Amino acid sequence: MSFDHSHHDHTEKKSPLPSAGPASPERAGDTRYWNSLEQWGQDPEFQKLAEAEFQSSPLREGASEEGWARREFLKLMGASLALSASGCIRRPVQKIVPYNKQPEEVVLGQASYYSSVYSDGLDVSGVLIRTREGRPLMVEGNKKFPTGHGVSARGHAHILSLYDPDRARTPLHNLQRMDKNDVSKNRTNRDTIAAKWDAADDAIVKQLNEGGVALLIPGFSSPTTNAVIGDFAQAFGAKIYGDESIPHDSLRAGQEAAYGGRQIPNLRVDRAKMIVSVDGDFLGTFHATNAASKQFADGRRDPKTMNRLVAFESTYSLTGANADIRVRIKPSQQLDVVMGLAHDLVVARRVSSFAGNADVAARLRPFAGAAAKLGVEQALWDRLVEDLAKLDGESLIVAGGSATETADGVSLQIAVNFLNSVLGNDGKTVDHARPLGLQSPDLGLADLIADINAGNVKTLILHGECNPVYASPLGAGFVEAMKKVKLVVSTADRNDETSIYADYVLPDNHVMEAWNDAQPVQGLFVLQQPTIRPMYDTRSFQLTLMSWAYLAEKGPKRLTENETYYDYLRAYWRSEIAPKVAGGKAFDDFWDETLQNGFAGTALEGAPSAPRAFRVNALAQVKPSAPVEGYQLVLYPTSMFAGGTLTNVSWLHELPDPVTKICWDNYVSVSLKTADKEKLKEGDIVELKVGDRSVKVPVHIQPGQHDEALALAIGYGRSRTGQVGNGIGVSAVPLMRVDGKRVIASGQAVSLKKTGKHVNLASVQSHHTMEGRKIVVEATLKEYLKNEGANNHQHHVWSMWSGHQYNGHKWAMVVDLNTCNGCGSCQVACQSENNIPVVGKRYILEGREMHWLRIDRYYVGSPENPEVVFQPVMCQQCDNAPCETVCPVLATVHSSEGLNDMVYNRCVGTRYCSNNCPYKVRRFNWFNYAKNIQKPLHLALNPDVTVRARGVMEKCTFCVHRIKEAKLQAKLEKRDLRDGDATTACEASCAAGAIVFGDLNDPNSRVAKAYKQQRAYALLEEFGAAPSVRYLTKIRNNGQDQRFQDGGHHGQSTTSKHEDKHS
Amino acid sequence: MQRRVIQRSLRGALFALIAGSCFLAGCKFQFGVGYNQGYQPDQPIAFSHELHVSQNQIQCQYCHSQVERSNHSNIPALSTCMNCHMVVKTDSPEIQKLREAYDAGRSIEWTKVHMLPEHVKFSHMAHVQKGVDCKTCHGEIEKMAKVYQYSDLSMGWCVNCHREPENKAPLNCSTCHH
Repeated sequence: MSFDHSHHDHTEKKSPLPSAGPASPERAGDTRYWNSLEQWGQDPEFQKLAEAEFQSSPLREGASEEGWARREFLKLMGASLALSASGCIRRPVQKIVPYNKQPEEVVLGQASYYSSVYSDGLDVSGVLIRTREGRPLMVEGNKKFPTGHGVSARGHAHILSLYDPDRARTPLHNLQRMDKNDVSKNRTNRDTIAAKWDAADDAIVKQLNEGGVALLIPGFSSPTTNAVIGDFAQAFGAKIYGDESIPHDSLRAGQEAAYGGRQIPNLRVDRAKMIVSVDGDFLGTFHATNAASKQFADGRRDPKTMNRLVAFESTYSLTGANADIRVRIKPSQQLDVVMGLAHDLVVARRVSSFAGNADVAARLRPFAGAAAKLGVEQALWDRLVEDLAKLDGESLIVAGGSATETADGVSLQIAVNFLNSVLGNDGKTVDHARPLGLQSPDLGLADLIADINAGNVKTLILHGECNPVYASPLGAGFVEAMKKVKLVVSTADRNDETSIYADYVLPDNHVMEAWNDAQPVQGLFVLQQPTIRPMYDTRSFQLTLMSWAYLAEKGPKRLTENETYYDYLRAYWRSEIAPKVAGGKAFDDFWDETLQNGFAGTALEGAPSAPRAFRVNALAQVKPSAPVEGYQLVLYPTSMFAGGTLTNVSWLHELPDPVTKICWDNYVSVSLKTADKEKLKEGDIVELKVGDRSVKVPVHIQPGQHDEALALAIGYGRSRTGQVGNGIGVSAVPLMRVDGKRVIASGQAVSLKKTGKHVNLASVQSHHTMEGRKIVVEATLKEYLKNEGANNHQHHVWSMWSGHQYNGHKWAMVVDLNTCNGCGSCQVACQSENNIPVVGKRYILEGREMHWLRIDRYYVGSPENPEVVFQPVMCQQCDNAPCETVCPVLATVHSSEGLNDMVYNRCVGTRYCSNNCPYKVRRFNWFNYAKNIQKPLHLALNPDVTVRARGVMEKCTFCVHRIKEAKLQAKLEKRDLRDGDATTACEASCAAGAIVFGDLNDPNSRVAKAYKQQRAYALLEEFGAAPSVRYLTKIRNNGQDQRFQDGGHHGQSTTSKHEDKHS
Repeated sequence: MQRRVIQRSLRGALFALIAGSCFLAGCKFQFGVGYNQGYQPDQPIAFSHELHVSQNQIQCQYCHSQVERSNHSNIPALSTCMNCHMVVKTDSPEIQKLREAYDAGRSIEWTKVHMLPEHVKFSHMAHVQKGVDCKTCHGEIEKMAKVYQYSDLSMGWCVNCHREPENKAPLNCSTCHH
């Protein structure tokens, strides 16, 4: 019965860490898993931090800032005195205001769910929006939705953009367009006034009638919006230009060159046994991430038949973090990887019908010997080639996103298409017959600027999502061009960086206020249903276009005769969409059914289609990349912001990056070796210079980064997004370059210079360290196939407690580490559901983040190229909960269903419970965060969950209010609770389906079955807290025989497992 | 000079005494007020439960129609009142207030009688489904011309009932607090 059983029994392998300094002290516990470089290097500062229970306290702060603590203490005391005095006053009188006429569907206090869609130019996911009394509260996944039942973090967070206090509340008239030389100037009433719709419409229509109309739009997945735009273009002879938030130009150009047609094929990850990603972050920021996450997880749910992911990456992305094999490359090597594989397959192994083609062979020859060029182990490379050759049409090559927008971006796409054709993937895993519904005009921003400069544009209409002045290197030229346009109209929801140059800003409705539709993939249609009346004096973009056509009496009938966009939408669905997917139903029934289900049509049905013929002459433009001297730039979007429409949403700023675990900033990631060479420390501000353009950003030392690649996130450094997002981070746009019409983001030569300044980056990676105990368990597929419980070393558990009786339900959760991809959507879902406050950068730095659910990211192996394991950790609802025994006021007690109830109104804030919690899942309210919520953001608060006050401890309770709601619903329907009725917010949000929640006392529940798996283990089981959460071992399909060559705790063989079990 | 000092310190002591006793009295006073048992505020319309329930025999659920399926017992929409008052007692000044508000699309601001703090989540539905009579908590509402708070709605009062074995009611903290 030793608690301290064998953590010290294996000697440490001393690893050569360059920055660790001389002799590192001997480390306790298993140190193959580490959170941060400080921990890896046994930094004494880190030890001190890790040992402290709280990273800061008001009193400790005082020691450094003289007198401050005392003054603050008196102030706080003063406040509480005032509070106790005012407590004597009789309670406030509250009013009840009933409806005049009660809407039939509203039951006061009960949530209504409306099917709708979340779409951000990347992801199109079917969602359910929970409302209470006509107020949207929470975005949840639509379980029936064919391409995925989860919601991304952005999908959850876009509810806050509805209640964003910085939204424009009326149409605005910028009397003087912003002077380019005076962008920093504060706008006053004299510059911007509220406009009236009628007056604005009249002025605009007058100008529209003069011709020369241009419309700049982002990519739309909505067929009806595209129809309105088409009709509008017809009415006014307008030209349409595209400015996608995440550009797909190279992708479309590559498709066109290789096969003809500019459609983006749908990637069918579910059909792939092996996925090779070359800077294609399909789980985080590229393609349809939500659908891809589900399909990727489905391919790994049963480890016996799991897929393999090989990632070649120039920065550590979410996809790389989930790879079985990850190889670091620099952007100039992307083409080498793809063409190198093609060479070895076609020329060396004579795979596919291209093998005999001398022309192809000649094109491939320069790429021979790629493994050596890339510095990849030859054996690994050969195995990869061999595996790909064997999988006929069951592999998938992915490349794309900002990191691949290099000078050779189009060539890379052609090469990827070629390789997919060679491997027989085209038509199978690359579904071209049913491509994505995302459409973007052929003309781009560069064309628009050229047309304006040629004097062809008199009226320019900007869609609200387009913000080229901020987001494009063409922005400066666009500002100059806009001055030549007589009338510029923007439909942005605020006077942002671009709108400030417009005469009129006619704010679009928020998506939750408007009807619309979407087509995620061809043949699947979704309706966007409004869930609230427009909060302000706004009008939907489509109706704005329709109104102008109506006033000008121009355009097709459907454009001018439909009174609202809703009518247009119905008419369009009746004539265009219902014939395709209604299956002969009456239109009204079909419409109602679509709203009920949330979608019409299918997504994944149907057999694979025939491959397209690859145009071999396209390979002519694929030439080896020009060598780049020194460092290379990588610009990437983060999975929190992706296209960057939600930069004023605090939840997303507070959500740490999945891999770096840094929030509230962007930074340049450099490798350990580079940091050593350039003498850089974490947080040092450096100047990055590309040509004559430069930006100053802090440094983050990123394990697994290529030594010659410097990676910087785009989407930061906004100046006109609002109070939350303004001035957070640095814009990377100045580093981009324009080559003809294409924007070159990555792969440029970049130099780095120290500035001598330093900032602290708010990272949560070193908070809550678990000190190297048995936390994450991994096994290789080979180990798993021999023994399903491989490396899952069971502990003998001894308890001094007699245990609880659970006669009714016993709630429990299982998290599958093999399918969890660490995206963080559960974290935001939890925040939304449970009214969790945002604390901001300063308090994150002090370790006071409030997330009830965190995702721990562990690196495994050497800092050169470590692997990553993600582990979501929430309250483990222990049966022998250490927190319960120490609470002096019984504010946390055990429920009869196995939950650790947390009673906020009883808590006096001793923090003993947090001190005693082995999992560090309790959060303390240092301030009255709720009091500072700016209106109307308070409307997003969930009325089912108490808003906690200062001085109160809070934590996850398995969404006990949702359990209660499900129980009451079952009671109302006079039936027993079924498995799946009660869900937690995190479970419902998970696209990968990695979280399973349910009743352990029901032997048929999913959770009870998952509990019995041999992969299941409890965190720190040996401490005897008897947690209710089980984790399933992560399985690595990397072809290795053993996870760790040296055995030890995690690698303990099965024999020692049995020996350790005392019977 | 010395007298003035004494005077001033006396004045200070008196002030402290008054302030102190106010403070103490205030805190003591709080205990009695906290529960508001017997609270009987004036309402904007002199609605009488006695008239509607005892004399006219209208079922509770006719007006509080969602009490069986919602956590809250709804105050009826004005349209519900108007179902009868379109024709009944149209000349009464109280009904005219109602009619006026209804026609103007406005509502009536009733004063809340039964108020629980925000951290208490009470469900009408759970209790009504279980067969708890309205009167158990609300008293003889059919005899109230003007509604007052019958029970003290304290936690002890809730828990006493939940503790009765025959009620088989849950006693977890999270039953009401989450």
